[in-house]
Amino acid sequence: MSIVDFNRFWILDGAMGTMLQADGLPLGDRPELLNLTDPDRITAIHRAYIEAGAEIIYTNTFGANGHKLANTGHTPQEVISAGVAAAKKAAGDTVLTALDIGPIGELLEPAGTLLFEEAYRLFAEQVTAGVEAGCDLIVIETMSDLYEAKAALLAAKEHCSLPVFVTLSFEETGRTFAGCGVDSMAVLLGALGADAIGINCSLGPREIRPILEKLAKETSLPLIVKANAGLPDPATGAYGVSAEEFANEMAAIADCGAAILGGCCGTTPEYIRALKNRLPAAPVKRTVLSRPAALCTATRTVRLNKIRVIGERINPTGKKRMQQALREGDFSYLRQQAVSQAEAGADILDINVGLPGIDEVETIRRAVRAVQSVTDLPLQIDSSEPAAIEAALRLCSGKPIVNSVNGKQESLRTVLPLVKKYGAAVVGLTLDENGIPPTAEERLAIARKILSAAEEYGIPKEDVLIDCLTLAVSVQQKEAGETLRAVRMVREELGLQTVLGVSNISFGLPERVEINRSFLTLALQAGLTLPILNPNIPAMMDTVAAFRVLSGEDAGAEAYLALMASRTEAEKTETEALTLPHAVEKGLDTHAADLCRAALQNGDDPFHLINGVLIPALDRVGDRFGEGKLFLPQLLRSAAAATAAFGVLQEHFAKTGGGAPTKGPIVIATVEGDIHDIGKNIVRVILENYGYRMIDLGRDVPVQTVVDAVREHKAPLVGLSALMTTTLKSMEKTIRALHEAELPCKIFVGGAVLTPEYAEEIGADYYAKDAKASVDIAKRLLG
Amino acid sequence: MILPCPPLDRSEALRYLGVRGKAPDDITALLERAEALLCEKVKPRYVWRAVDPPDFPGEDLARHLAGCRTAVLFAVTLGQESEELFRRAQSGDMALAVTLDAAASALTENCCDLAETEIQKAFPDRYFTFRFSPGYGDLPLSVQRDMIRLLNAERLIGLTVSPSDMLLPQKSVTAILGVSDAELPKARQGCALCRMREQCQYRKAGEHCGF
Repeated sequence: MSIVDFNRFWILDGAMGTMLQADGLPLGDRPELLNLTDPDRITAIHRAYIEAGAEIIYTNTFGANGHKLANTGHTPQEVISAGVAAAKKAAGDTVLTALDIGPIGELLEPAGTLLFEEAYRLFAEQVTAGVEAGCDLIVIETMSDLYEAKAALLAAKEHCSLPVFVTLSFEETGRTFAGCGVDSMAVLLGALGADAIGINCSLGPREIRPILEKLAKETSLPLIVKANAGLPDPATGAYGVSAEEFANEMAAIADCGAAILGGCCGTTPEYIRALKNRLPAAPVKRTVLSRPAALCTATRTVRLNKIRVIGERINPTGKKRMQQALREGDFSYLRQQAVSQAEAGADILDINVGLPGIDEVETIRRAVRAVQSVTDLPLQIDSSEPAAIEAALRLCSGKPIVNSVNGKQESLRTVLPLVKKYGAAVVGLTLDENGIPPTAEERLAIARKILSAAEEYGIPKEDVLIDCLTLAVSVQQKEAGETLRAVRMVREELGLQTVLGVSNISFGLPERVEINRSFLTLALQAGLTLPILNPNIPAMMDTVAAFRVLSGEDAGAEAYLALMASRTEAEKTETEALTLPHAVEKGLDTHAADLCRAALQNGDDPFHLINGVLIPALDRVGDRFGEGKLFLPQLLRSAAAATAAFGVLQEHFAKTGGGAPTKGPIVIATVEGDIHDIGKNIVRVILENYGYRMIDLGRDVPVQTVVDAVREHKAPLVGLSALMTTTLKSMEKTIRALHEAELPCKIFVGGAVLTPEYAEEIGADYYAKDAKASVDIAKRLLG
Repeated sequence: MILPCPPLDRSEALRYLGVRGKAPDDITALLERAEALLCEKVKPRYVWRAVDPPDFPGEDLARHLAGCRTAVLFAVTLGQESEELFRRAQSGDMALAVTLDAAASALTENCCDLAETEIQKAFPDRYFTFRFSPGYGDLPLSVQRDMIRLLNAERLIGLTVSPSDMLLPQKSVTAILGVSDAELPKARQGCALCRMREQCQYRKAGEHCGF
């Protein structure tokens, strides 16, 4: 028996840990090691559950991963093969043995530092061991982070062809500790091909039931519930719900559509027996759902049932600053772009890192990680390079869009399998081997061809989004109308969502925004649902907001009213006469930018503005901070205002050529093992203001990475930060490695527990007590 | 277990921000915003367990628990929600980010106080030591790992420990309380006992962390 028949009930077992603790396992000991030291005891517990009615038993391997077994002297392979053997001995030929895989026990980034690839590797190791030992299916359970569940599911799918069950643990709020809701769970796990999904642990059946009811509406997959015996008593850890109550409440859960049922913490064979006796003969028939397409991240689901704005700014085409950021690996710039687009109301973020000569695979990996660390918006992976698309798809925490496939056979053949495997949605461009056809009818025909190819690969129709292609109206004037007509036909005849890169329309014309917003209105009216645009241009977002009112999507114009109210609020602040230095000193960023722009229009020398106005203003702020007359948030507000003014100057230099020489570069990092990076980020922001080019390596940075970066960038100065006494050791190691590599750099260090004496002792050249002190050091060394 | 979000001790948050004297208006406004964001997003959780006094390395904890037949292990976390706020703010508004950080640190302490009050209700007519955390005195930070395991904190409140013994989510505390049948001598605490004394920022500034 290896294939699970989902038209019947399946009784799962109950808790393993509870049974072992009742049997004298000391609290906090690793129960998995008993697979090696006392396998008969494990087999006996499995037998007890089978006698009580369990038809699928979970192996005693919940924490048998390389991370949790480190320092036990045993490998996952040993522990798992013994665990599967102990289960199979009890299972015989009638009961299925499920390889149990729990969370790794360390948080994935961005919440923690564990990388997705490392999590995948740990899970793959478990799956391989379980399959070799002969398990019948894989269960991934008690997950809180959907991203971690994805790593495990992908590892299972890529290392075996057994059925895979995935269950998450929810709080009563209906979200996991990591913030995942049942909607995202259903969207992603369904797209990635889980065979059954559900809920286990954390709560008793009574608390789980409403969450399960919601989940049942989000998925047509078979549903699993493995509930605790109620909630634990904090003082004793004992669970309160009796076997009889448990069985009654589980029967109510079965009525909601769950057909794979068992017990988690606090349950014993008595509970499983009661559950088995209480269930009806067959599960309820669930109706198969039709639901609008949806994208998601681990914590947010975006349904494609209304206009959704795709933010276009993370794309180097025609954007010098973005090109520079990508070439220099300055991902803090990408993070800022992601946050500002999210704040401006984007629903989805496009990521395109294609630049000549760049390693697109590695760059898009880093870009996806950077953007995911600061927003919960779903992504649109924008690349023509299949290897880059796949690299990005693996690392996405949710269900993204792939942009794009087109009607060429080569494109369909290479891109669609990736879209299917990783459960993404896909943009189909209406062009093929013959280029972009001039008429709407021909574009519709290509859309039809893309749709049917996608369906052949098993991609659901609603996940195919069609881009009828915007052409520059200055060059191909007639085709603006054809594009709009094609959009209407795709909506009406195929019923698909439509995508357009709106701003292409105005290429080559002045005052582009006027053309863009008018075209946007027409396109929305024709049936455009996914406009790709710059959300930080208020005129564009206003057009969308106005259209939402006119189309009735924004009921009662509530969103529109809120948007306009927030705007008048912002405009009200500060009407007094300000000078540029005042704006910087007071930390007023919009004013600083406006005043800087006005000064340039007035003919002021940009270099004078930098060296004669902005830097002295920053110095005054810095001095007052040093004197304790002004505090850290104020210093940072001033820095932000100066940054806004520098931004205006950079734009000016980009237009006129030339530009301020940058100094440095300075490499900065929070040392290995340390994840507290706010201090390092403060230093980066302030030093950037003084014109230093910063290479920010992030937090938890391995010693060798620092050495390599200093060598690669020929950095004359390195800043290292550590917050904890325990990580000062890594700081010392990093300094030693820099010295041993004989790199001609100076090193400054900072962090809460450092002292000047200790800094000297570990071989640092300078101790910086705060961001201001870092500036003094940089000035002294680099001018 | 979910802990109701306690009111933020603003003066404590200001102290973490390095603000001395009366806070300027813009900082007060920023702190109010940080507090509102935290209150909206953060879901503090705690877990505790009564045990025999644990046999952890070092002498200071044993001294601290002298005379106590029972110890309570507990952990408090602001949860991952708080960290999403910092991450986002650090890519947009750094001033808000540092204020959020300070406010969240203060709020974590406020949550510990509230958790202690809740725990004490389970032990009527008993006496308690102040809370003693890994990193205090000679109790090593590596004990965090044992605390998390003994409390089953990963499953119960989503609290984990990194390979370098840091708690994740970052705004979290684990601590040990001694429970005694008899009244305890007043406050066995202070800089003299603390192994951080040479590096302590508070002590350098002539202040006290509360230990």
